Amino acid sequence: MSGTATPAGLDARAAAGAPVELADERLRDVLLGTWRGRISVGLLGFFIFIAIFGSLLAPDDPYASSLDVLAPPSWAHPLGTTEQGSDVLSQLLVGARVSIVVGFAAAAISALLGSIVGLTGGYLGGWPDRILDALENWFLVIPALPLMIVLARLLDPSLGVLILVIGLTSWAGTGRIVRAQVLTLRERAFVERAKALGAGDTYVIRTHILPNTLPLIFANTVLIVAVAILSEAALSFLGLGDPSRISWGTMLENAFDSGAPSAEAWWYVIPPGLCITLLVLSVSVIGFLFEEHINPRLRDDR
Amino acid sequence: MSGRWLAGKAAAAVVTLVFVIVFNFFLFRVMGDPTTQFTRIPNITPTELADLRSDYGLDKPLLTGQFVDYIGDTASFDLGTSQRSRRAVWTEIKDALPWTLLLVGVGTLLATLIGSWLGVIAATRRGRNSDNGLLGFSLFTYAAPEYWIGIILILVFAFWIPILPAGLQMTPGVEFSSWVSEVTDVAEHLILPATAMTLMLLGQYFLIMRSSMVDVLTEDFITVKRATGLPWDRVVSRHAVPNALLPLVTLSAIQFGAVVGGAITIETIFSWPGLGELTFQAINDKDFPVLQGVFLVFSAGVIFANLLADCLYFYLDPRVKAD
Amino acid sequence: MKRPRIRGTVGGALLAALAAIVAVLVAPAGAQETTTEDGGKAVLKIGWGQDPQTLNPFVGLDEENYTVWALNWDLLVNFDPEDLQPAPGIAESWEVSDDQQTVTFTLADRKWSDGTPITSRDVKYSLDVLGGEGTLFAGYTSNVESVTTPDDKTVVVKTKQPEARIVGGLFIYILPEHIWGKVPVSELTSSYQPEIPMVGSGPFIVTEFERNRILRMERNPEWSGEEPNFDEVQFIKYGNEDATERALQLGEVDIVAEVQPSTFERLGNEENIETVRGASPSYTELAFNLCSAEDCPDAEFNPAVQDKTVRQAIANVIARERINEISALGTSFVANGILPSFYKTFYETPELDYNPTDVEEAKRLLDEAGWQDNGDQPRTKGDQTLSFELQVRSESQSDIQASRLIAEMVKEIGVEFKVQVVSVDALTEATVRFVDGKPAPDFDTFVWGWGGDPYDPSFLLSLFTTEEIGNSSDSFYSNPEYDRLFREQAAAFDDEERKQIIGQMVDLTQEDLPYVVLTEDPNLQAYRTDRLSNVEQQCPADEGGDIFCEQISYEPMLTLALADGSSSDDDGGGGSGVLIAIGVLVVGAIVYFVIRSRRRGGGGPIELEE
Repeated sequence: MSGTATPAGLDARAAAGAPVELADERLRDVLLGTWRGRISVGLLGFFIFIAIFGSLLAPDDPYASSLDVLAPPSWAHPLGTTEQGSDVLSQLLVGARVSIVVGFAAAAISALLGSIVGLTGGYLGGWPDRILDALENWFLVIPALPLMIVLARLLDPSLGVLILVIGLTSWAGTGRIVRAQVLTLRERAFVERAKALGAGDTYVIRTHILPNTLPLIFANTVLIVAVAILSEAALSFLGLGDPSRISWGTMLENAFDSGAPSAEAWWYVIPPGLCITLLVLSVSVIGFLFEEHINPRLRDDR
Repeated sequence: MSGRWLAGKAAAAVVTLVFVIVFNFFLFRVMGDPTTQFTRIPNITPTELADLRSDYGLDKPLLTGQFVDYIGDTASFDLGTSQRSRRAVWTEIKDALPWTLLLVGVGTLLATLIGSWLGVIAATRRGRNSDNGLLGFSLFTYAAPEYWIGIILILVFAFWIPILPAGLQMTPGVEFSSWVSEVTDVAEHLILPATAMTLMLLGQYFLIMRSSMVDVLTEDFITVKRATGLPWDRVVSRHAVPNALLPLVTLSAIQFGAVVGGAITIETIFSWPGLGELTFQAINDKDFPVLQGVFLVFSAGVIFANLLADCLYFYLDPRVKAD
Repeated sequence: MKRPRIRGTVGGALLAALAAIVAVLVAPAGAQETTTEDGGKAVLKIGWGQDPQTLNPFVGLDEENYTVWALNWDLLVNFDPEDLQPAPGIAESWEVSDDQQTVTFTLADRKWSDGTPITSRDVKYSLDVLGGEGTLFAGYTSNVESVTTPDDKTVVVKTKQPEARIVGGLFIYILPEHIWGKVPVSELTSSYQPEIPMVGSGPFIVTEFERNRILRMERNPEWSGEEPNFDEVQFIKYGNEDATERALQLGEVDIVAEVQPSTFERLGNEENIETVRGASPSYTELAFNLCSAEDCPDAEFNPAVQDKTVRQAIANVIARERINEISALGTSFVANGILPSFYKTFYETPELDYNPTDVEEAKRLLDEAGWQDNGDQPRTKGDQTLSFELQVRSESQSDIQASRLIAEMVKEIGVEFKVQVVSVDALTEATVRFVDGKPAPDFDTFVWGWGGDPYDPSFLLSLFTTEEIGNSSDSFYSNPEYDRLFREQAAAFDDEERKQIIGQMVDLTQEDLPYVVLTEDPNLQAYRTDRLSNVEQQCPADEGGDIFCEQISYEPMLTLALADGSSSDDDGGGGSGVLIAIGVLVVGAIVYFVIRSRRRGGGGPIELEE
């Protein structure tokens, strides 16, 4: 899915405006309390490990070509070869880095932007809020992928451009959630009291607003990581990725362009897509777990 | 009350659209230098470049000249000329739009029906194997890139077991004896891309319908109905499902952005001649007028679809009217 | 209160969906009857990945354009498919004046496909307007001083300088002035779309162009040359190469004009399919930035790239055979210098050929020039290091592979090439960058390619002239001796003499090495042996160009014929209103279900517990 859908649960929760905390229950229990959580954390850890050490683990130079073109899996090439005779497994291992780096960096930008806009608007209220809110709504409505495509095409593709483009187009959901939370917190007794006692804005934000908003931002950001990973893959697949790096999206692009489907080269088509799917799945499940934890109403005891 | 609510929504949609149009102008004029489009012409001299600039009105002042022209042109559906085909961008879009609507329409319809149907099944069998299986399946399709699913569909159903065409909207080079055979041919070509689109959207519809149903089924009035001795499946179909449908409408609005993204990648891999493929070609050719036009149309489409969802919501949910 | 009967509606919708699926499953049987066979028409079907974007020659840039135009419009002087020498086209004869600066063309008695006679007015219009300044064809008329038309059947072209190839070099389609002349030039160069049927002078004219689907060309009723064996030529769009090749395997098309290197071998092994590999006038090269400080004060590069010895050492270790074998999967041809062997009339393998590779010689050259061997590290001399950036565009996997191979090869002699895969825009920018009105290339080396005119090597040779710095030159090579030879060869009317001069030019560049030309790109095509006969490689013949002289001449299209026993088929017309019908159906279904579910509810609110 390439859209920036707002996680419905978080939205509802923020609208309800209750303070949310992560502190009373230990992070570990949230993540590792269920088998889904354990598998997801394990998978994510595995992919992060690959992203860091993938280039060392690669059995072959991922760029090295040979005459062994589109060869099925063998001992020499456990996942077969590409249309240039390169080792698919090696490309897969090296490609993890782009997905992870872009996913997390873009989500970080998105979280930062969304928090700043949401906090400013929600806390200040009045016309700045109205303008920022309109901006958020606008970014929420505008289809994300076409906007990313347009931006990426106007700039010259590189890893930095990808991160920037994805980050800039996916912050609005965070912004809206943060704003809603801040709006309700602002009216709450402990904030009013602090203000009445003469506390400054920065103090109120730091001690009361932020701690009660961070878990929301955090949970939402985890879900944005998933969206960012999918966006990077889609842009790379459309030829707007960083041309100097292998990513799973570019692998799929090369596989499709070189006629892997007609050659029935499943070993070239399935692994990169499966890796994207598993990575997105693990990140999403972790995000859902946080979401459920913050909003127990969503919890669904299975 | 009710009228004002809808009018407010409509006004908001118009404002959003106007903002898209303005944004579109500055994005392409300020970030992208339109003269780069002319470097396609080999050995262009500075005088010719200046002529071209004046042809395109680029020598006019940005705000009072170019912007005013742009707004006027856009209002009259003049979206400029494609750098590549030299046809009006609006003509290109008009040719491609029906194909996208067909693909998106069929995909959304099937995803809504199948997704909500499976959601109901899962919710009524909560915690059982079938529920867990459906949950896993929908999470997987939610996380999987739709073009990857599409490529696998091509590999399996067009090459491994060659029963369906690998791409295009109809068999090339064939003329059809009647419109029936043409429709069947198009339908045949639609199966794989529509399946990819359906699978992409299915997961979200399933998840929402399932959780919505789970909520409704625990409501008191369901327990009351059961107590009256009504058969369980009648309770589900007549009382639970209608009440669980509302979140689906909201979701379909949120989904439109994703649908547009999916249209681009799915049309690209299936060479389906809609707006998505047009976008892909424009990316490759750096055809900015087309890119600009397509972005505008996609945005307008999503804005309109959101408004439509609002209307539908308004129509279906009595609470909104009462507000 | 009545409940909405959702079950009924969901069930109904599912039924409808099911019905649609069933309808579709039985569809293949239905689709087959759509091809009606009546044996009446001989149709040649050519598959291609993309169709041309426009048929207007003032703006069209796609290869596919030239394929269509070459069939639709005759040139003033055509090419002999045997050896690409000038052959009668719209002009049946021509005469070169004694001072070699005036050519008088006499036109044949021919008509446009709409029955209007072809006259000298058409020729003058085309040379002046289609070949006018600033147009895509301007390069062909840059040496033309004037075009005059003493009478309807005579055209006199005066040139600024004597030029050997002026007769065959006027590669400008002759357009019907009575149609194109009515359209203002500003429209021709912007949004004009030619009317269909496209009035022409070639053996076939475009009679239907359905974008994204088919381009149909039918016989020109006024065609007076040899009768073609086909009544109709169809170009069918498949969206990508893969699908096109598959269509050939299925027998949906007779010819695939462009086969991918990666599938070339596989396709050749298929039954009833024959693959054809021919030379082409294009190549892939490793280029060096040789721009001098005065030409490009703001250029950015590692100055070591301008040491001739370094380039020679590099050339000595680049195994072109290996690059061809791996990056092009053996489908290309090994290149020997800046003149592709495609130009048979002028080609000769240069003496200094850097083949086979000689690592010891390369090391000796570098040692002698004072480049200090640093073992695993790049060689150094003073503060200079033999470490270069090698840029390559991301679009071409084979260019990327070639670059990586080169980097591997030069490592052995202590030269480092850092391969940078960049977008084609970035590479273009690096080579055509200007600062303060002067070229300022920003690269050390790159791998890219050029394509020349099939009938004449002048364009490819011009790339190394000083005059092209700031235009097409991307090595920024400047050598007065080369410039002099270039002018000399242009004026050499005798082929043998011209070959001598070109030989000297090649020798110069083999010594100075602005480029190391790696491979000559092939024309890879395939056709069905059970459908076609009389297939020959032409333009030029023997191991030459391709099977239907795509983009150059219509001649081979006249000899191509259906193979014995192959069926021909006939196609009629079709509409696309069907689409709208389907769309309406879908939307209608949605609306229907919504309304119905609503109506069943009796308009009352859904029972909702708060």
